[in-house]
Amino acid sequence: MTTTCALVSVVDDDESVRESLPDLLRELGYAVQVYTSAEEFLASKAARDTQCLILDIFMQGISGLELIKALARAGLAVPTIFVTAHVDESLRLRLLEEGAVECLFKPFSDTALIAALHAALRDGRLN
Amino acid sequence: MVPADSAANALPLELTHRDAARAGLEACLAQSQYLTGSAGFTWRLASDEVRGSEQLSHILGFEHAAPLTFALILTHVHPDDLPTLRAQIEFARSEGGDIAQEFRHLMPDQKTVRYLRMGARRLRDPRIQCDYVGAVQDVTELRAAEAALREARAQLAYLARVMSLGALSASIAHEIKQPLAGIITNASTCLRMLATEPPDLAGARETAKRTLRDGNRASDVITRLRALFTRKSVGGEQVDLNQIAQEAVHLAQSDLNRRRVTVLMGLAEDIPRVRGDRIQLYQVVLNLVLNAADAMGGVDDRPRRLSIRTQPEGPDRVRLSVQDTGTGIGAHAARLFEPFYTTKTDGMGIGLSISQTIVESHGGRLWAAQNEGPGATFCFSLPSAPECDPERRSPKRMARVSRDDRGTLGLGL
Repeated sequence: MTTTCALVSVVDDDESVRESLPDLLRELGYAVQVYTSAEEFLASKAARDTQCLILDIFMQGISGLELIKALARAGLAVPTIFVTAHVDESLRLRLLEEGAVECLFKPFSDTALIAALHAALRDGRLN
Repeated sequence: MVPADSAANALPLELTHRDAARAGLEACLAQSQYLTGSAGFTWRLASDEVRGSEQLSHILGFEHAAPLTFALILTHVHPDDLPTLRAQIEFARSEGGDIAQEFRHLMPDQKTVRYLRMGARRLRDPRIQCDYVGAVQDVTELRAAEAALREARAQLAYLARVMSLGALSASIAHEIKQPLAGIITNASTCLRMLATEPPDLAGARETAKRTLRDGNRASDVITRLRALFTRKSVGGEQVDLNQIAQEAVHLAQSDLNRRRVTVLMGLAEDIPRVRGDRIQLYQVVLNLVLNAADAMGGVDDRPRRLSIRTQPEGPDRVRLSVQDTGTGIGAHAARLFEPFYTTKTDGMGIGLSISQTIVESHGGRLWAAQNEGPGATFCFSLPSAPECDPERRSPKRMARVSRDDRGTLGLGL
């Protein structure tokens, strides 16, 4: 179990993910905040405190991609793990090139998530 | 002046000519009856005697020499058609009116069924020794052709539905993967909770419950999809158009999200249900939704907005409309509903044609109009189901969807 208590924010419009992922993250030792939309996350002003963002790509309203651009415009580079149920390898590569820590296709294993979290928090520390 | 002996010989000669002319006429009549698969008959009410040509016996499959009555004919009529034909005959006997009826006739071989159309008119001429004169036509080939056409249309509609679902395969996979993601994450968490010392039993129980719920959710998605993949047609159901609109948007939602299409729902409260085939009507709505999304594929200078509305139309109809902010129908308006006409590079052009056929087979109509602003609106209206007691109306909770759990925005109408 990780000894850190880094804040991980989960933004996903799917209820199953919103309910299951936080418990796993807490079990792994992280503090967790959950948001149903990009708009809700932006309104919360939690971005500055978030050390890792787990972000659904395709959501109603502001998409995950637009949220990252909005954060970048505000000078915030939050280490981000994208998650999506749409398997699109070319999109994944593009996101990695643009600085995403990882892009996981749902359903993903806990080991893949843990590896991505470690990478994200290492990136965050580097930042 | 005609000689006396000549006059005496003239009558038989004239009769001979008349007989010949009559025989010729009858031969022509027999030929025309043969060519049209029809036969004339006369009917005497008192004796129930039916007299007709050899062609009549041929159509009915009876021996020509054998006496024929309607009572005998009725013994060969399909049980489903018997009550109405019997009622027609009773009507003829009691009221003396003209009768017309189509019925299935079981041939004496007890295997072959022929579709016969019969019409008869009451005669009130005392010089004629019968009460009714009528005709029977064998329309079996026509009915077989109609059945083949119906089957071909049903197969084409099925093909179009499967193609729609093919176009939505990414969306469908998404619908299943979401609960699968929940299942796998919950199971991982559950194992971790059980592995701690002491085990977190309460937490493990909670995650196990959520695993079950997500498993059921994935199962529900598959059950709903199986209904769409089925070929079987079920008519005569009470169908709630609000529910169909919501389900169609739900299925396409992830595809619409990916295409940056915002959905606005304006579902009228308490609209009557319609009678029909739920899957077919679902297919129509899904087709209109996907067409609308396609029409907005190249739009980048304005929001891609898809609005679905339901509303009552007059006292006994319901209308569903799908409006987009796409490229509009413009010059294509006149040909939109033609089979195999398409403006898409990857379309077959059968969706709208089949949708129109489905709507019309439900007693409704489907049409398209250019918006005042950008885009087009496709509408269909259907007659409401005859019985509209409160339980058969669209539940009020369906209406005025303001923002559902998937983030779909409401119009607040």
